[in-house]
Amino acid sequence: MVREKSINQETPMVRLENLSKTFHVDEGDVRVLDSINLDIKKNEFLVLFGAGQCGKTTLLKMIAGLESSKSGSISIEGKPLKGFDPKVGMVYQTTALFPWLTVMGNVEFGPKVRGVSKAERRKKAQYYIDLVGLNGFENHFPSMLSGGMCQRVGIARAYCNDPQIILMDEPFGHLDAQTRYMMEEEVEKIWAKEKRTVIFVTNNIEEALYLADRIIILSECPASIQKEYTIDLQRPRNMVSSEFLRLREEISTLVELREGV
Amino acid sequence: MKARTKYTLISIISLILFILLWEFLSQTGIVSARKLPAPSKLFDTFIYKLSNKNPDGGTLGEHIATSMKEALLGFFFGIAIGVPLGICMAWFKKFDMFFRPLFDLIKPIPPVGWVPIMITFFGIGIMSKVSVIFIASFIPATINAYSGIKQTKDVHMWVAQTFGAKNRQVLFTVAIPSAAPMIFTGARVALNGSWVSLVAAELIASIKGLGYMIQTARLVGRIDVVFVGVLVIGVFGAIMMSTLSYLEKKFVKGGRR
Amino acid sequence: MTMPKLSMTKDSRETLLYGILGIIAFLFVWQLACMYTNFGKIFPTPLVSIRAFFLAFVQPIGRYTLLSHIAISLRRVLVGYALSSVAGVIIGLLMGYSKMAYAIIYPIFCIIRPIPGIAWIPLAILWIGIGESTIYFIIFMGGFSQMVMNTMDGAQNLDTELVGVAKVLGAQENQIFSKIVLPSTIPYIFTGLQTSLSTSWMAVLAAEMITAREGAGWLILAGMQTGRIENNVIGMISIGAVGLVLASLLRNLERRLCRWSVRSR
Ligand SMILES: Nc1ncnc2c1ncn2[C@@H]1O[C@H](COP(=O)(O)OP(=O)(O)OP(=O)(O)O)[C@@H](O)[C@H]1O
Ligand SMILES: [Mg+2]
Repeated sequence: MVREKSINQETPMVRLENLSKTFHVDEGDVRVLDSINLDIKKNEFLVLFGAGQCGKTTLLKMIAGLESSKSGSISIEGKPLKGFDPKVGMVYQTTALFPWLTVMGNVEFGPKVRGVSKAERRKKAQYYIDLVGLNGFENHFPSMLSGGMCQRVGIARAYCNDPQIILMDEPFGHLDAQTRYMMEEEVEKIWAKEKRTVIFVTNNIEEALYLADRIIILSECPASIQKEYTIDLQRPRNMVSSEFLRLREEISTLVELREGV
Repeated sequence: MKARTKYTLISIISLILFILLWEFLSQTGIVSARKLPAPSKLFDTFIYKLSNKNPDGGTLGEHIATSMKEALLGFFFGIAIGVPLGICMAWFKKFDMFFRPLFDLIKPIPPVGWVPIMITFFGIGIMSKVSVIFIASFIPATINAYSGIKQTKDVHMWVAQTFGAKNRQVLFTVAIPSAAPMIFTGARVALNGSWVSLVAAELIASIKGLGYMIQTARLVGRIDVVFVGVLVIGVFGAIMMSTLSYLEKKFVKGGRR
Repeated sequence: MTMPKLSMTKDSRETLLYGILGIIAFLFVWQLACMYTNFGKIFPTPLVSIRAFFLAFVQPIGRYTLLSHIAISLRRVLVGYALSSVAGVIIGLLMGYSKMAYAIIYPIFCIIRPIPGIAWIPLAILWIGIGESTIYFIIFMGGFSQMVMNTMDGAQNLDTELVGVAKVLGAQENQIFSKIVLPSTIPYIFTGLQTSLSTSWMAVLAAEMITAREGAGWLILAGMQTGRIENNVIGMISIGAVGLVLASLLRNLERRLCRWSVRSR
């Protein structure tokens, strides 16, 4: 697969070069990422599309600093990534909220541990809580919220820490279809309003097409880049337009072919 | 795997160092042997006590046998009465209403508190201990059986009822099996309580048993015998608890909730 | 199975009725037993016991009145309990959080863990003599291993994903401890505090029976030795009542501090 050189000359927000990852476990070595090369532009909405267990979470975790690898490199705005970068925020596959903190406590956690004054971080947290539509639930604990609401908290928490890059790991994987549509709209709205670079993982084709500027199709484990699509349909996307349907058809054929092999 | 071996090694070294340090402190007299007898001395005492009746009138084996007998008797009676009582209280409303206040009255009294009364009634022999231990195990057995049944998921019950099961059938085929893990938890608490109360009862007044042994040894200043007794109490407590855990694993299917 | 709200009043009326019936039946059997069997030769009737109970508030038994005896026991329990809780939480967190600390301490801890606090009484007397610190020591040993075990359990069950979340959000190592490890361990600590409280209460009774000349434990034992069983009964009732109050205070505290936890609801 030949990747065209980016026409845009400015340094990419995130650059992955030859990134590979192997887990060493008792039963032997498991290779999950296989020399991934990828540039992600500033303010791009990039979707990583891949089958289950292909290494999507691992890839995001590496960008977040939660996993590391000796082969290949990650750089953010041209600087090689070392440990945790404050420019990166993450929304998790499982909600991963702190159960002992209220919605407010969760959302303001990042600014708090970074030493932002109380008044300032409260104001900011309130802004994002309102943005994700949880006004009035500030003092609720996660155990009192529904799955969709928990994901909203997760999103607000990630944004509230002011990251330039937001990693979203199948955030709506566990939600029912109806809530999912709603959340997708919500995410797009927030992204339109709060331009950030988003790397969004999913295994749902429609979700990918609805959200992405660009879709990267990952192969099965070990994951490598199989194909990429640039989607320049008008936003918000019309999910029954012929172009949308055609792309959906094309990607599903590709994926089915792969699974058929 | 590697890390695990490393930590196991550290554990072994730590234990050995601990015992060596203990031996060293005692042998050199940094800590008086009358306060802290050396492990080697304790081992000798242990061997000695296996066959010798000094200073407390019984060999170690006899004391262990007496203590175990008392503890297990009390424990079994406690379970045999506590579990059915708990089940009945949870299943039959009237039963619950009648016994509840009485039970609530007895529940918060620590079992040790019963020792003097039981001695007054039954004298210093085995009966007084067994009855104290009975109380110690009867209370947690009842409480846990009760909440085990109460927690039986309503859904399970409905499923059983829609299949046309009678009230009693539901109790025996659904409620009791699903309460089994809780009942075992109760048994574990009960066994632990039994052993603790046994030691207490024997310390306070008795003529045989491990508690009596350490109390007598204390009075004549044989700290080595006290040490051996205390360690044996710990070891046998642990043995009984792990036997129970083993039984639990074997009999409770579906795991604990 | 689920009754509509209307029958609630009928329900609670029945509960009350049967409850009172149960208590009356109990008192009746007690009274009859005292009147017609050998039981009465050693055991006071309910009326005598109740009278003695109220009398004990003003008339000293031994050196103190009932309330002072209880206060003395209470102070001992609280001191020993506070010490064992603090030490237990520290050691437990240490072992639960650091694998190295676990590897070093756990095998040694395993030697003392199964020994009931009460079994330390003779050793404590030989080591420290008879006095307040001996009693504190015994209560300490009673609660310590339970606190360690529960706290350690909590720290080991720590959700490592949440640690990662916090790190990505910018938390430093010391913040991870105070903001993640500690709060997620608190429900376990409370479980430990509950069991340890009842063990401590039991340990103070035993310790007072064996080594003290005052306190609720002494009261109970002295009742036996002097043949005044009513003192015995009084002691037991008050010990039970105070234990109950302490436990429910603790439960309220837990409800307040762990509103988020499912267990506390
Ligand atoms: N810490 C680890 N140690 C060993 N193996 C791991 C580890 N983390 C992940 N793996 C393995 O790597 C593979 C990819 O895992 P990953 O979670 O990245 O996949 P995924 O694409 O996110 O899957 P899903 O669609 O289920 O979220 C899996 O086979 C998993 O078992
Ligand atoms: Mg994943």
